Amino acid sequence: MRTVRDSRVQTALLVAVGAVLALAAMEAIGRFQLLGRGWPPLSQVLDILHTPATRTLLGRSLRTTADEAGLGLLIGALVSVVVAVLGTVLPVLQAGLDRLAAVLNAVPLIALGPLLIATVGREGSPAVIAALAVGFVMFVSTTSGLEAASTAHRDVLAALGASRTTTLLRLRLPAAVPMVLDGLTQAAPAAVLGAIVGEWFGAPSGLGLLLVSAMQNYQTELLWAAGLAAALLAIVSYAVLGTVRSLMAWRFR
Amino acid sequence: MGKSAPASIPPTDPDTGGGPAGSTEEGTAPDPDADPRTESADAGSPRAALELSGVTKHFPLRRRNTVALDGVDLTVEQGEFVSLLGPSGCGKSTVLRLLAGLEEPTTGRVRVHDRPPAALVNDHRLGIAFQQHALLPWASIADNVALPFRVAGRPVDRARVTELLRLTGLEEFAEARPRQLSGGMRQRAAIARALALNPEVLLLDEPFGSLDAVTRRRLNFELARIWSEQRITTLLVTHDVEEAVLLANRVVVLTGRPGRVRHVEHIDLPRPRGGRLTREPRFHEVVDRLTALLDGDLASRAGADEGATAQTGRRWLRRRGR
Repeated sequence: MRTVRDSRVQTALLVAVGAVLALAAMEAIGRFQLLGRGWPPLSQVLDILHTPATRTLLGRSLRTTADEAGLGLLIGALVSVVVAVLGTVLPVLQAGLDRLAAVLNAVPLIALGPLLIATVGREGSPAVIAALAVGFVMFVSTTSGLEAASTAHRDVLAALGASRTTTLLRLRLPAAVPMVLDGLTQAAPAAVLGAIVGEWFGAPSGLGLLLVSAMQNYQTELLWAAGLAAALLAIVSYAVLGTVRSLMAWRFR
Repeated sequence: MGKSAPASIPPTDPDTGGGPAGSTEEGTAPDPDADPRTESADAGSPRAALELSGVTKHFPLRRRNTVALDGVDLTVEQGEFVSLLGPSGCGKSTVLRLLAGLEEPTTGRVRVHDRPPAALVNDHRLGIAFQQHALLPWASIADNVALPFRVAGRPVDRARVTELLRLTGLEEFAEARPRQLSGGMRQRAAIARALALNPEVLLLDEPFGSLDAVTRRRLNFELARIWSEQRITTLLVTHDVEEAVLLANRVVVLTGRPGRVRHVEHIDLPRPRGGRLTREPRFHEVVDRLTALLDGDLASRAGADEGATAQTGRRWLRRRGR
């Protein structure tokens, strides 16, 4: 027990030291202009947060992007899980669905942007692109999760006379939970990225829009602040879902 | 209960080489009494509950066929406890899987209460337990024992679950998760689950195989007691000679690769069988004789005699070498 705690403390310390070093490097590179004027010192980026208007702008953009990423994650995960289950219930579809998922995954999201603007509109596309970004990970993790139940478990269910539906509900779906949670943890940052890409094409608000406008108006500090906010959002989403996973997954193993 | 069984009886299947006498007559004029427990009128002996006739099972293995079972004939009568004894890899688990409808025979006939095994399975009248307990890790012990009710789409009989937990000494652990229990307790829970719906047939595939000798012995005594109370038709697959003898009315010894019935031993030891019996000479006499049979089987396989076994051996070695 002691050693486990010790190693956890050690890990936390290493993470903290790494983060401080990275932030210090950011500051140093900016201060000494090692990479030109495009890289401001961290302190200067944080300074703009003192302006209430900027703070409100950043906050609102962060909120919008978080909402879109969350909505996209939800839709993408739900659709993928349903489709993966469908492939299990109707094995005829399995091969076709696998291929469809692979093809959809091969299409660059950037290429879909203009199409989506034309179909679902500027406000809708960030969430849709976020959903597409998580779809493949969720599909693959759910599909393999549904196969995760052991042979002995399947044999017992089969010998008890379980129907396909009963086996799915009583065994395969619960057994899939750890892998679905793994998938969600991996998918959350992808959803943030998808939402920002979606906003890039001219959404009315959000971090993506902020990035574009700051870049075009040479607001270097604001550009960095938006970038850092996006990174923070991705990390937090990963951490939150990682915590959910570690709190829940063990029950299903 | 469906009466589709007669349609698939012999004439269409000439390979079986003489099924049980009178089965064709039964096929043309089905017994009006649907209850499989009733003894058939034509035979004076108890009716066969489980029946394998001329069963061969091949498994494809890397473009080569492995013969797991070769012409196995086996019957288990109503209310009988039969132990299937053999070295590991002799196909004894395959026999059990055939009876549970988890595998299909390559040739030959497998019948459970004179119907295909799937019929009993679909009626939820089969109980089964494996070496791996296969309890659902997310469900409590009580819920695991109640699983067969849910699978059968019946309301859970809480009284029955409690009774089974008491029978297997798990009352205090009803709300525990499988991971919180010891290996022996998990196996007991698996057996309680197998018994939940009062099955007509109980199939046990080395249920205590992963336990230590002391726990295994204790659970054997418990299983003997439970069986004496319920007299369910039971087939136990094991490689433990003492376990086989202690529990069974009859021990069927299989040879390995390919699996064939080598010997059938009627165990006439008195019940209830407990710890005292296992210290008596007559118990050891039977155990020693069956152990010698198993040893002999191993010796003949290891010895390089030039008979038919050598070919089997070479095939086996070649497979191993790949």
